Amino acid sequence: MRKTHLWFLQLISGALIAVLLGIHMGLMHLDDILIILGIDAVEPTSWDSMISRAMQVTWVALYIALLIVALYHALYGLRGVIIELTSSAAAKRAVTWIIIAFGLTAFIAGTYVPIALLSS
Amino acid sequence: MAQIQPRQNYLGAGGWVWAGKYKLERYLYALHRITGLGILLYLILHLLMTTAFRIQGQEVWEATMAFLHGPWFKLGEYLVVVAFAYHMVNGFRLILQELGFVMGRPIPPVYPYSDALRRKRPWAIAVVVVAVILSLVFLYDFVIGGW
Repeated sequence: MRKTHLWFLQLISGALIAVLLGIHMGLMHLDDILIILGIDAVEPTSWDSMISRAMQVTWVALYIALLIVALYHALYGLRGVIIELTSSAAAKRAVTWIIIAFGLTAFIAGTYVPIALLSS
Repeated sequence: MAQIQPRQNYLGAGGWVWAGKYKLERYLYALHRITGLGILLYLILHLLMTTAFRIQGQEVWEATMAFLHGPWFKLGEYLVVVAFAYHMVNGFRLILQELGFVMGRPIPPVYPYSDALRRKRPWAIAVVVVAVILSLVFLYDFVIGGW
């Protein structure tokens, strides 16, 4: 049953990523088309543009939500790919724990900086 | 009397590339994995840039951005965008399929048989078409933005 729940979360996180990453990709990589449509994204990778987003709670919340679902989806997917390559239960457990440790580290690093910038 | 050995059907990573007579869906599956792993690699680099480099301030950020705006990095970035477009569209097909939305109604097994794979083929073709259209839209933006 636990595996079913984890797999269902994989589907849900995939759908959420499509929305959240779609917003991020649209802003970052469709900025020239958005200008034609009358939406000025103001060179999204410039320091001023980036820092103005970093100061808005909505953007920070969106990026942290994206980080959570992306890490879950990517690392659960990676785990599935790796454990397919071995039949040893011990190796599968080791892979799972290494991936959980990596995910938690990436989550802490990925949330510390936006929160530090927001509260600076 | 010679022992009959069971057929070895565990192909490991090699099975991603070749496991017999492949159909379109099997290539989409391999591509889904490849794009997923590629996006994960980019995610790790992207996290590094937006944490360790960003926290060091404007000068380091601008130097990093100047470095990343070279044509080869732009090409890499475009490939990531294409990978995202494909992975997303194919992922939607897989979600619909997984939840049973595109299985079609049950039909009597009358010859010539119509198997589930063939009945779902239009979805697989639609994935390729939509992914190509999205890739072209992003390519247009990359080109008019000065690559």
